[in-house]
Amino acid sequence: MEMSELTQSSAPRRFIGGQLLGSSQLVLGIILAVLCIAISIAAPQFYSEANIIAILRQCALVLIVASGMTMLIITAEVDLSVGASLAFVGCIGMAVLNSTHSLVLGMLAALAFAGGVGLFNGLVVTRLKVNSLIATIGTMMMLQGGVYLFTREAVQNHHRLVSFTDLGAGYIGAIPLPVVIAVAIFAIAAVTLRFTTLGRYLYAVGANERAVRLSGVRSERLKLFAFVVTGLCVGVAGMILASLMNAGQPTAGRGFELTVIAAVILGGTSLLGGRGSLFGTLLGVLVLKVIDNGIIILGWNQDLQMVVPGVVIILATYLDIIRNRANVR
Amino acid sequence: MSVDFLHPGEGAAVDTSVPALEMRGIDKRFPGVVALDNVDLTLEPGKIHALMGENGAGKSTLIKIMAGVYGKDAGTIRMRGRELDIKSPRDSLKEGIKVVFQEIALISEFTVAENIFLEGYPTGKGGSIDWRKIRADSAALFNRIGFNVDPAARTGSLPVSQQQMVEIARALAHEARVVVMDEPTSSLTPNEISLLFTVIRRLAALGIAVLYVSHKLDEVFEIADTVTVLRDGRHVSTRPIGDHTNDTLIQDMIGRRIESLFPRKRGAPGSKVALSVQGLSTAKKLKDVSFEAHAGEVLGFFGLMGAGRTELAKAVVGFDPITSGTISVDGHRLLPHDTHTGVRLGIGLLTEDRKSEGLMGELPVYQNASLASLGAFARMGFIDKAGERKAVQDYVDRFRIKTPSLFQEIKNLSGGNQQKVLISRWLMRGLNVIVVDEPTRGIDVGAKSEIFALIDRLAGEGLAVVMMTSEMPELLGLSDRVAVMCEGRLTAIMSRDDATQEKILNAAIG
Repeated sequence: MEMSELTQSSAPRRFIGGQLLGSSQLVLGIILAVLCIAISIAAPQFYSEANIIAILRQCALVLIVASGMTMLIITAEVDLSVGASLAFVGCIGMAVLNSTHSLVLGMLAALAFAGGVGLFNGLVVTRLKVNSLIATIGTMMMLQGGVYLFTREAVQNHHRLVSFTDLGAGYIGAIPLPVVIAVAIFAIAAVTLRFTTLGRYLYAVGANERAVRLSGVRSERLKLFAFVVTGLCVGVAGMILASLMNAGQPTAGRGFELTVIAAVILGGTSLLGGRGSLFGTLLGVLVLKVIDNGIIILGWNQDLQMVVPGVVIILATYLDIIRNRANVR
Repeated sequence: MSVDFLHPGEGAAVDTSVPALEMRGIDKRFPGVVALDNVDLTLEPGKIHALMGENGAGKSTLIKIMAGVYGKDAGTIRMRGRELDIKSPRDSLKEGIKVVFQEIALISEFTVAENIFLEGYPTGKGGSIDWRKIRADSAALFNRIGFNVDPAARTGSLPVSQQQMVEIARALAHEARVVVMDEPTSSLTPNEISLLFTVIRRLAALGIAVLYVSHKLDEVFEIADTVTVLRDGRHVSTRPIGDHTNDTLIQDMIGRRIESLFPRKRGAPGSKVALSVQGLSTAKKLKDVSFEAHAGEVLGFFGLMGAGRTELAKAVVGFDPITSGTISVDGHRLLPHDTHTGVRLGIGLLTEDRKSEGLMGELPVYQNASLASLGAFARMGFIDKAGERKAVQDYVDRFRIKTPSLFQEIKNLSGGNQQKVLISRWLMRGLNVIVVDEPTRGIDVGAKSEIFALIDRLAGEGLAVVMMTSEMPELLGLSDRVAVMCEGRLTAIMSRDDATQEKILNAAIG
């Protein structure tokens, strides 16, 4: 009797503890805070305005693509071709700029190409029913090889358009333009996922596609949409990257897809679909980029830039499993 | 493994004074559910003992405890006086208990002989497997149960009835004293059933205690010596079969008279044709199926397993493709043939497979309920969440859906409450025709009658209800008309008043 009373009275307390730990965002927020404080103590220049701006700028490219990727992974699909597409987009955008001297046409070409890649991925997955992991690895290889058919070397900037340079290097007030663009895309995606029927359907398709289809909703179109949005995000990011490098580099974007997917997963979005949030993705991007920056500022071996995030992903996922177990109890 | 099992004590007098297996005071709890509450069961050697009860009565939990799939929370299991400690399926088999589950657990890529000796291949020189002996021993085992299966056949290529025989042969190979048959006839033809019964009687003649799990009355009257009935996880009665009539058995199983389980409140069906299906065929199953369903009517479809009920349900709502035929809902053709058009015309499916086709398990109750009617709560693409939750709350109250809150993940609800949420999903959308496929599968007895009442109410509100079922009481208790299928064809349509179990079964056999 005493025993049962004891367990009963402790149960709610444990539950509240579980609630507090309940959001993976909170865990991630704490990790981020600890990282920032620790690095600041070891290297005070981490906390300088210039460095914070630099971190944000580095976050921008990943966040733009991760916004689309979060939607896509919520529908239980994934796109591994974003890195390869990013490089190709830069080359195509730059080539169109060189021949037309029009930023609008260059951007349109980039968006059309990247959106087209997304559409292709989406059609292969929804029509041919090829698993998206395999389909987009295929696309990745096609793009990685295809970009060399398009150009053997970097496409240099021959047009000298100031507005193009601003795309990567410009500011609005004190905030770099890429950061502003990233925040805007992030905000649109977050509102869509959270408040619209479209967002609700994206979660629903990831949670149970057959149930969604039985309810009269065209599930293939939702997945197609998520693939195309991811592609368009790559289009925007690819042009910013080309602007930052002042060239279209066929070798750019290697491993970029892994950083993006890592940020999304780290943010608590389930690869099985139906669960996740953009706010988590934002935190995921910040954690990865703060680690990057910390390693440089502390003067550590730069190869650790790959090693440490790898460790963090495994740790964070493990914490998530522990948290879920606590919730079940 | 020795050769002794081939002829031990054949025809010897069976000592029936000591029970082969004795289960006393078995308790089993799952989160939120008491599956078994102080259940007793005694099996005698050489006797066929039937275990009966509705879905959710605790039959499968009890045999899974016997088989070592679940542990028990309390109680004892004794075999010939000795207490057993069964911790795993392996333990159970070692003690001589063989459970033949409905979903047969053989390796389909292996040969029959390989499956029979799976747990211990006889070895020859240098530890190599003695294949010739395996085949010979297998043949001998089949000889003993009086049924021949080719030991060299690939198991997966055999029909279910023969796979069952392989399982029974395995039981003999393990010198089983207790053989449990879990709903063995659910996918067999009448011919196969009578062969199975012969083999089961033979097992009893060998002194084996047979537990025959079923909810089919006629079979139990034919084969059992004794019947134990479970209801809601409790032991209700154990009697010789001779003491029972159809009515007393049903009463023990459902705890009340059948009329009260199916309260009919709706009036007579209308004459308006809500659904018209003409010459419907699919690539795999359906052949030239034609019927009409009227507004306010429950049209019940019966058929044995594999008759094509689920295929028909999925084709009619536009979920699965068809090769020919037409479907019209309220006079409008279902073209193009997809669920988007179907739902727009007002036809929807309540699936038999809630988990993989109905529920979004990790999403909250309210999102599951509003899935089909989200458009009604949208303004410029944004969801009016307050309005949405209010509407769902309305259904939760009306249907007495038991959930801690609207935000509860639906996978945590009981089967009956999940089903009510899925029915709400369609009612919130508003339909003309609802196709319900095995509406009470996996639902507790208590909640069943609530689902029946809901179906009655749907028809009362003017929907045409097309109900696919394999449960005879459900079919006869709810339908206005009965349609019967056999191997993808419609073999009979009759009014409820003309329908008898015999007529229906004859049509189901074809």
